[in-house]
Amino acid sequence: MATKVEPDAAASGRPLPDDRLKEILYFLKLARYFDERMEALYRQGRLPGAIYSGRGQEGTHVGVAYALEPEDSLFPTHRDLTAQLTKGLDLKRVMAQFWGRIDGYLRGRDGNSHIGDWYGHRTYAVMSHLPIAYPVACGSALAYQRAGSGHIAMAICGDGATSNGRWHEALNTSAVFRLPVVWVVNNNQFAYSTPNAKEFAVPTIAERGAAYGMPGVRVDGTDVLEVYGVAREAVERARRGDGPTLIEAVSLRWRGHAGHDPAKYVPRELLEHYMLSKDPVKNFEQYLKDQRIVTDEDVAEIQARVEREFEEGHEYALASPFPEPGDVIKGWWVEDGYWVGEPGRAGGTEAS
Amino acid sequence: MATQQVEAGAAGHGAEPRGKRDEDGQATYLIAIAEALWEEMERDDRVFMLGEDIGVYGGAFKVTEGFIERFGPERVMDTPIAEETIVGMSVGAAMEGLRPVAEFQYADFMSSGFDEITTVLSRYHYRAGVPLPVVLRGPSGGGVRASSFHSINPEPWYAYAGGIKIMCPAFPSDAKGLLKSAIRDDNPSLFLEHKWIYRRIKEQVSEDPEFLVPIGSADVKREGSDVSIITYGAMVHKALEAAEALAHRGISAEIVDLRTVYPLDEETILRSIEKTSRALVLYESYRFLGIGTEVAAVIAEKAFEHLDAPVVRLAPPNVPVPFSPPLEDAFLPQIADIEAAVDRLAGW
Repeated sequence: MATKVEPDAAASGRPLPDDRLKEILYFLKLARYFDERMEALYRQGRLPGAIYSGRGQEGTHVGVAYALEPEDSLFPTHRDLTAQLTKGLDLKRVMAQFWGRIDGYLRGRDGNSHIGDWYGHRTYAVMSHLPIAYPVACGSALAYQRAGSGHIAMAICGDGATSNGRWHEALNTSAVFRLPVVWVVNNNQFAYSTPNAKEFAVPTIAERGAAYGMPGVRVDGTDVLEVYGVAREAVERARRGDGPTLIEAVSLRWRGHAGHDPAKYVPRELLEHYMLSKDPVKNFEQYLKDQRIVTDEDVAEIQARVEREFEEGHEYALASPFPEPGDVIKGWWVEDGYWVGEPGRAGGTEAS
Repeated sequence: MATQQVEAGAAGHGAEPRGKRDEDGQATYLIAIAEALWEEMERDDRVFMLGEDIGVYGGAFKVTEGFIERFGPERVMDTPIAEETIVGMSVGAAMEGLRPVAEFQYADFMSSGFDEITTVLSRYHYRAGVPLPVVLRGPSGGGVRASSFHSINPEPWYAYAGGIKIMCPAFPSDAKGLLKSAIRDDNPSLFLEHKWIYRRIKEQVSEDPEFLVPIGSADVKREGSDVSIITYGAMVHKALEAAEALAHRGISAEIVDLRTVYPLDEETILRSIEKTSRALVLYESYRFLGIGTEVAAVIAEKAFEHLDAPVVRLAPPNVPVPFSPPLEDAFLPQIADIEAAVDRLAGW
């Protein structure tokens, strides 16, 4: 993943070199295609469990995760699986998780986008009680600070989660200790069915940063490059030891809270406006074409790659075995040894 | 991490916590706990403590007095009053390879961090295979006129969550050995220190830095043949007094101190029942769905053929711990209640 603005990119006025920009387009297109295909499979009754569409918000998910180094930790949510894919998770194992298979990252112990790969890609296994991971991100950042490692932690939640007490606890604590952490709020304007106006009485979430003693930045979450730029600055600030930043990335959730929800509470005009003029994938593709960074053939090639990888992932998932029913109680304690042998995991000896 | 040397003390292994042993070398329960923390902090620099007022002030009960001078503010970390974050931050630090020990001023306030304990700490390893060597410790229990919000026995709430080992020691040696084991264990632990015992009970406690008491192991504190009293925490001391009185009347009570309430040491419980054929389950958590409820179920399920009488439970009612002395005394099982319950059992 890109770490610095390279000279040729800086000279051209672009934030990243061309191959990196193409990579961003790949992640955006992967996210969109995955989201649409998984929804279709869900509706056809071919996918068990649940789906949580991130459509319309890919600019935020890719933009923030692309600003991280491999060693930085990410504390994501169920809606931003794309951020974890951008961090490097293997689509095959992600899809095996959706189908409850042993090769999923959580070996069938959890499903869908409640996923994580701590030892591999430093992503925390998502939990539903948002922003439940915010306090945990403080601990990861604390460890980086103590070790002087220069790594940082990033946590994501939605607009609704900012109403929860833990959000305030974690922001306050991170500022008190100047922890190397970046707080991302993916403001898609609806917490399930509840609009922003019924979640908070301040005009923006970003301005709350001042209350905790940290910068708050509001950014168009549908513009991947803007998001990336803001996130990169926050990441570097944290890395320098200057403490946390609050980022509010505004977009709109195009689909319902989960696969079952038609989201009729979203005003039609608002949705149409976002779908027609603020499509993060289409707009970025157009930008790259306008800048002559990609050709139509390049785009077609990326799209073909995405579709091929999806099919490979689907096949891999369906071919992967289910977990053994007899293993249901294993892994309750570390000494059970259940996770020994998993990549990066050595059970009890890992931590001692 | 910044540390500074202080004078070597009577404990015989370098510096020591400010609270000291008696001249005859006995340690109170509180001092034994402080020694366990001190020794593990000395032994392993991944161990650090966090909590409210534990640094400069030395903790609400002064368990950590003197620690900040020795280990510095990074390893003896005063936090904002934010219990969800204290727990969550401990989890995150443990995921990164540290071994946090979080103090709660009272075990009552662990419920302010309930979700991070029951949803994150208890389930993360099962779901994702990441060990979380986190210890949450704090004073629990009643009998000190501290009323509703400073007296509870929260162990059943967290035992039900699963995935967290829960210790409720009754003696200084067990407290020291178990806390050291908990800090070294790769699983999460809840270490509940009964505040009634803190300064009341003292004994000779090992000064060997490798002295450990195994987690999940009960201990017979008094041998007997007529009735088994299965108990833990401060109730162990009441049971011992009751047993003394019963002995004068010719009734021999065996006292099994669970020490760890989750996971339960079923083997030691059942061995005692096989010997006495009568069981009194005495506990300070609530009668309804308290720890003793599970103990009684285990005995009924696995020792039915050995029983000469129904299993009897003695525990407080499911009401908040009241303040007024006559009310609190009525709430908590008393020595006379224990004797009466044993008499009923022995009469079968």
